[in-house]
Amino acid sequence: MIEKQSSVKGLGPGFWPFTAVLSLLACANIYFWAVTPLSRWMPTAVTVATQIDELFRVFLAVGIALFIFILGYAVFFSIVFRARKDDPPDALGVQIHDNHKLELWWTVLPTIAVILISWASVRVWFPIQIASASTPAGLVVESIGHQWFYSFRYPGINGEVTGNMHLPVNEPVTLNVTSEDVIHSFWVPAMRLKQDMVPGLVNVMRFTTDRVGRYRIICTEFCGLNHAVMNTQYLVIEPKATYDAWYHKWQVKNATASNALPQISSAPIDLSDGSAAAGQVLFTQKCSACHAIGPFSQRIVGPGLKGVLHDSAHPNLLSGKPATPANVADILQHGLQGSYGQMPTQVQNALTDKDIANLVAYLNSLK
Amino acid sequence: MAVAATHVGGGIADHVHPEPQGFIRRYVFSIDHKIIGIQYLITGFIFLVLAGLLAEVIRTQLMNANGGFVSNNTYNEVYSIHGSAMVWLVVIPLMTGAFGNFVMPLQLGARDVAFPWLNMISFWMFPVAGLMLFSSFLMGAPVAGWTEYPPMSLQGEAGTSMWCAAIFLVGISSTLTGMNFMVTILKMRAPGMTLTRMPLFVWAQLATAPLSMVATTALAGALAALFMERQFGVPFFDPTKGGSPLLWQHMFWFYSHPAVYIMILPAFGMISEILPTFARKPIFGYKMIAFSSVTIALAGFMVWAHHMFTSGLAPFMQLPFMLLTFVIAVPTGVKIFSWITTLWGGKIHFTSAMLFAIGFVVLFALGGITGIFLASVPTDLHLHGTYFVVAHFHYVLVGGSLMGIFAGFYYWFPKMSGRMMNEALGKWHFWLFVAGFNGTFLPMHWLGFEGMPRRVAVYDPQFQFWNRVESVSSYVMTFAILLFFVNILVSLRRGKKAGPNPWKARTLEWQIPSPPHYYNFKHVPTVYGLPYDFSEPLPYRGLDDELNDAPAPVPAGAH
Repeated sequence: MIEKQSSVKGLGPGFWPFTAVLSLLACANIYFWAVTPLSRWMPTAVTVATQIDELFRVFLAVGIALFIFILGYAVFFSIVFRARKDDPPDALGVQIHDNHKLELWWTVLPTIAVILISWASVRVWFPIQIASASTPAGLVVESIGHQWFYSFRYPGINGEVTGNMHLPVNEPVTLNVTSEDVIHSFWVPAMRLKQDMVPGLVNVMRFTTDRVGRYRIICTEFCGLNHAVMNTQYLVIEPKATYDAWYHKWQVKNATASNALPQISSAPIDLSDGSAAAGQVLFTQKCSACHAIGPFSQRIVGPGLKGVLHDSAHPNLLSGKPATPANVADILQHGLQGSYGQMPTQVQNALTDKDIANLVAYLNSLK
Repeated sequence: MAVAATHVGGGIADHVHPEPQGFIRRYVFSIDHKIIGIQYLITGFIFLVLAGLLAEVIRTQLMNANGGFVSNNTYNEVYSIHGSAMVWLVVIPLMTGAFGNFVMPLQLGARDVAFPWLNMISFWMFPVAGLMLFSSFLMGAPVAGWTEYPPMSLQGEAGTSMWCAAIFLVGISSTLTGMNFMVTILKMRAPGMTLTRMPLFVWAQLATAPLSMVATTALAGALAALFMERQFGVPFFDPTKGGSPLLWQHMFWFYSHPAVYIMILPAFGMISEILPTFARKPIFGYKMIAFSSVTIALAGFMVWAHHMFTSGLAPFMQLPFMLLTFVIAVPTGVKIFSWITTLWGGKIHFTSAMLFAIGFVVLFALGGITGIFLASVPTDLHLHGTYFVVAHFHYVLVGGSLMGIFAGFYYWFPKMSGRMMNEALGKWHFWLFVAGFNGTFLPMHWLGFEGMPRRVAVYDPQFQFWNRVESVSSYVMTFAILLFFVNILVSLRRGKKAGPNPWKARTLEWQIPSPPHYYNFKHVPTVYGLPYDFSEPLPYRGLDDELNDAPAPVPAGAH
């Protein structure tokens, strides 16, 4: 059974000119993304957004170029190698099965491409997700997702701030996000960053603001009936002076609310009659968002606190003082600013002297 | 019902079971893989219509930035059932249940699957599960999307529990089918059909079967836990009672990422049959295509947490999931290059099946490229949960899987029915579908980048223009699918007789009459080579009597 097989000279008619056209288009595309910042469509509000945009542009340049070749050759071969009216009905294509050299190339080339995009991704990923954790925390703000709005907590402001979220410009920020009901998400497109707000879990976003403006905060995890309109609050990045005025306004407003700010007592707290049971309840309410009941290394924001008073590997607290009940109470009273971020003061945490005694008793009971 | 062909004294004894008489045994509770395949096909298409109508409710609502077509709650129910139905009642059953069942045993030279009764049971779970899923509308359907993340899904109305039960049931069906297919492929190939002589569609089913078997059980566990928490208060996922919301996400995606490959690998197989047939040349790189299917299936188990980059995964855990996801680009790229090279030097006949196959290659490639943006953590931090994701998975699941289903249907319809489809209508279907599809989903890429989150009943008016373009395009796409169903109905009645092998294809199913006899082959053939050498004689022996009037094999006595 001999049928009419076609034969093709070289790579077929017009292959190289067409390849040249595709290459030109691909190069034009790469050039376009090399010179076009994405802030043309969407402003950037934080420094990491620029780094993420660079990665976007690498992917757009490479991805669209690749697609130009795939679409181009699929259409081109379909046209060049179409069956024609004057072909015999049993005409066959070129009977080739494979070409090991070619197959080797298109295994090796995508592998190199994968290595390159991996490298490009890790180069951006490492500073924003890993290295940033060991830099100073800067301003620590907390956002809590609710059905269907965001509230915020600032160090030094009693209770929660509602409405827009304000941040000073050119300031490193650590934003801890969580939820009090279902999963929400905290997304500011201008930051190119997003974290889910998961109840029972604190997720951390770290960034440095670098552009004054109002940017929408959007929920991207479905959270119930009004999920679609959980996008009416703004992140307001403003000059330090304007921010301070806003901050002070909230500080006064919340301080004169029903729960006036308690005062930090100057005398040492009496720790003699603390209740470990009451301390345990308080811990879950006030401390567990940042501290685990686990070994020192089990870090959420601060270190794990299991055996904090009985850990021979860590005889000193992060304040540098020996691990004694009185020194733990001192941190609970006055807070601590250190490499792990910001431990709030007694006032910020709304703890009474009695609460602190109970918490110390509870921590002392953990071995 | 055991293996139909057995070796006796060195030769092959033809041993068949008598064809059941009576409508119920023959067409309703049938144990014939071909009938079961067609049952899956019809049921899957019914659900495609229902879930497609839900899609049009979604697009009609989104014509206006402030919605207004249905209430926000109804909208949430509609997209949740749309997604669930399209995944579990349309694409998975059509890919494995319909085409796997009808085509795979024929391509193996087998008389049926390994466990025909199990096959029947698997099928009947599927329409029951489908009715259960749609019945959830009557009791307050789930609203948290096809992923049903708790704690949100714990707040859902009673329909969410029904959703759990329905998906659990269709999951069992899928698991059993996976097991059945795996045994069939490994144990029931015709003599001489070594693994490396199997058609690529069979290879694709072989790569898919363990995914259905292993991954679906993780989903069953997650669904059982969610059901127990909702109905009996067992706290698996509620953090206020000590549960973990992320546990669900891990269990769900441990299934649902492999499920992506359950939905696409069989389409890879179909494309690998259709391209060589209509290019009249061997598939390029047979071994590379077969091997890359297996690689993709294996790697598919190790990348699930790339759906959770913003969920609160420990940052260092993002690295292996990101890199492993990139690695999948290599075998996927190998396939796309092999398909395009199969076109090179061909004598290409643009049948409807071929058009859909070429369209598949291009649109699936675009879906794969946008996958890189989502696999890389820094860019995913921006894109996660936006319309970019919606665009990406519709390119893979509609531009990929559904185009594959259409290609496969145009290709095997003559074998199933004995009649040809109308090619003119088929081409209208293709071009309108491709235009409507791209108009619907291409703008979603930039809408997502510019800040439109998914699962919203109303949206920022700045996005209204492109949403209107999408909605209008989606009507074009729906009209194209309507043409497809008209084509089926017209062709079933008036289509011209197909004969055994209208495409001059070389796999075994084309060497027997259309539609095949109950027993498939009069004599089980012996296989001598790959089915893609168009210039060589067919690599089979023992098929001489298939198309003549020789008597059919004698049914074995009653058991």
